[in-house]
Amino acid sequence: MFGIDLGKYRTIVISIALFLLFDLGVLVLNFFISSEIASDAVNVNLAGRQRMLTQRTAKLTLQLQNRAEAGVPQEVELKELIGAFSLFDRTLSAFESGGETASGDGKPIRIAAVDDAIAQSILAEARKLWDPYKSRISAVIERGRADPDAAGALVVQAEAANLPLLKLMNDLTTRVEELAASKATLLRAVQVAGISLATANFLIILFHFIRHLRESDRELERARKETDDILRTTQDGLFLLDGSAVIGVQHSAALEKVLGTKTLAGRSFYDIISPAVTPKTLDTTREYIDLLLRHDVKEKLVASLNPLECVEVSIAQGPGEAESRYLQFGFNRVFESGKVTHLLVTANDITRRVRLERELKASEERAKGQMGLLVEILQVEPATMNQLLRSAQEGLQHINRQLREQGSAREVGGETINAIYRITHRIKGDSAALGLASLATSLHSLEDILTGLRERPVLSGEDFLPVTVRVKGLFEEIEAMHQAVARVAQIRGVISVEAPRPQHDPGVEALPFVKRWKDFATRLADEHARKVELGYHGIDMETLPESLRESINSMVNQFIRNSLVHGIEDGDTRKRRGKPEAGRISVYISARDDGGVDLSFRDDGQGISVSKVREAAVRAGRLTAEEAAAMDSRRIVGLIFEPGLSTRETVDEDGGRGAGLDSVKALVMQLGGQIRIGSTPGEYCHFRLSLGALPSLARTVSEDEKEAEEAAA
Amino acid sequence: MKRLMIVDDSNIIRSKIARALGEHGLEVVGLSPNGEDAIERCVSARPDVITMDITMPGMDGIECIRQIRRLNPTVRILVVSALADKATAIQALKEGAQGFVCKPFTEESLNEAIGELFSED
Repeated sequence: MFGIDLGKYRTIVISIALFLLFDLGVLVLNFFISSEIASDAVNVNLAGRQRMLTQRTAKLTLQLQNRAEAGVPQEVELKELIGAFSLFDRTLSAFESGGETASGDGKPIRIAAVDDAIAQSILAEARKLWDPYKSRISAVIERGRADPDAAGALVVQAEAANLPLLKLMNDLTTRVEELAASKATLLRAVQVAGISLATANFLIILFHFIRHLRESDRELERARKETDDILRTTQDGLFLLDGSAVIGVQHSAALEKVLGTKTLAGRSFYDIISPAVTPKTLDTTREYIDLLLRHDVKEKLVASLNPLECVEVSIAQGPGEAESRYLQFGFNRVFESGKVTHLLVTANDITRRVRLERELKASEERAKGQMGLLVEILQVEPATMNQLLRSAQEGLQHINRQLREQGSAREVGGETINAIYRITHRIKGDSAALGLASLATSLHSLEDILTGLRERPVLSGEDFLPVTVRVKGLFEEIEAMHQAVARVAQIRGVISVEAPRPQHDPGVEALPFVKRWKDFATRLADEHARKVELGYHGIDMETLPESLRESINSMVNQFIRNSLVHGIEDGDTRKRRGKPEAGRISVYISARDDGGVDLSFRDDGQGISVSKVREAAVRAGRLTAEEAAAMDSRRIVGLIFEPGLSTRETVDEDGGRGAGLDSVKALVMQLGGQIRIGSTPGEYCHFRLSLGALPSLARTVSEDEKEAEEAAA
Repeated sequence: MKRLMIVDDSNIIRSKIARALGEHGLEVVGLSPNGEDAIERCVSARPDVITMDITMPGMDGIECIRQIRRLNPTVRILVVSALADKATAIQALKEGAQGFVCKPFTEESLNEAIGELFSED
């Protein structure tokens, strides 16, 4: 309206304008009708006077006749007659067509013609009667006197005209009164209508206004409730900061918990954070908030500079108690007409997140340490490693005993320290020799503590507390290494057993010859209180010539027997070595392009012990002790295929006579082929036979040689 | 073509910036090794955009930004610095820089920051 945006007040403004318009309309009408009524009132008076003038004129004609007949002067009557006559005539003319006449007090008055058909017809009739009457009177007046005849004629005229004229003027008066009355009625109607409209409009305004008010109240209430709900339930600390960094009157309930302070509204944000942050951070925060309040700097740019992204604060928990927490403040600009008016701030307790991140980082570092540990372990021969760890554990147990014995004594002698130092130093030396740097470092720090204690003149049991703590740490470290060794052993086993596996066909497991091997292995395992699982991959043996099939079957049976007697350990030993409780035997047979067959037999048992084979060879009289000592391990291992040689000291049906693997060798010689042996003590033993189409050659490789080396041989 | 002035005490950095931005349509109109030289050169070189180091011998970048702002209120300034702390960056923005890139920077990050400098939002 008029280019002004009235917004939500538009309806109210329109209603009020209408109200004023009605009032003004009624006022104008009122004025107009009132003035008409006023002029009608004059007309009523004048019409009434005309009535009176007819009577007076008639009366004066009679008086004039009497005077004329008595012959006395008649000037007074004549003068009065002229006045009455001319006043009546002028007023009649004025009623008919408008004009001037005299008012009741004799002043000239201008009136409009009577605007009514009935009144005009009355006037027309009056005119007809008046005109002859008027000419008789005019004739008398012109002569200046009336003789008895003329007076008589005038009286006759007057008597004829008087009563009808009186009646007509009466009618005129009544008619003019009626006109005035009808205008008064109209005026009342206009007033009633105007007031009614104004009242109706007022009521509409009132209704509208109240409805609007109620609606906005409801909306406000709803909005307030929603805001309250949000502020009450959100887990974030939420508040507004004004241009002076003062906290607004509303904030989320969580804010008090996050900041550990009550009554925050109206306080300076800087006052609240100043005890928790360094003066420099506080200054940076001030600068930062100033920058945020300036709308010309891009928000995205500013966001990355938030100095309160992670603040460590001390929150009071009770009298004298405080808890360290991490808070994160986020700032968002609130714009109004393109200007930053406020900042919406979120405050969150990110202690859990920060701690988790730190834990994660620490565990990553630990993992890195463990990787280092694994690398160190991988470089050490497993048996030596186990030996060192056992000895270290025993040494630490000894230290613990010393500590317990001395712990209660008030004064501790230097001998205790020396004893502990000696043990520590020995384990450290062993660890360093094996390249276990991390363990050596830990032991070195224990030595440092002990050196510190040695320098003290008097020692009490309590002084040994750091030693106890350190020793406990070392126990844990060694336990971790034990686990790592076991894991390495497991991985080694898995890698070496599973590596050369051909495509697995589940169907082959159900072949009759495989089933027979499985049954045989299980039976032997039961007899030797072991557990075993045999897996087969490869060709169906039925496709091979019968003689070859039988030879292979015999060799596999021999290998199974060898595994269960010499290779696969009892459940406890296997668990200690980090292996699954059940031993695993993998057999696979594949046909080569040259018509030959490859047989692989592998178990994850304890492998071949060179020293035991050497002893057995001497015991069996195959070699002298000197010869045995001079022979390299590759050749020693090759002796297991020699007849009459067994590492087993007792003889039973499954082994001990030394008549097992020599039969395998004999069969290989017969078929033509090669034998390769791969073994790592404590981990596995692997026989690989290439049968047929190759020159007969029994070859063995030493226990430490890797598969790659074997293949290259 | 936008006119670029580079203010940095390191010759290597100056040429690295010149190469990175020169290849992306900016005309290098000035190279300054310190704040004083930059202010002097700024008048004749009439750059549209300046990359500004903060830590320089003599007048530092913050003071230099303040003075250049007085001489040329419309030039866009990008701080390219090994910003040790947020306070320095905030200070630079308050003095009238419109963006910042931390050293060491990549060609992409530098070009992106220059693009941001001239974007409307």
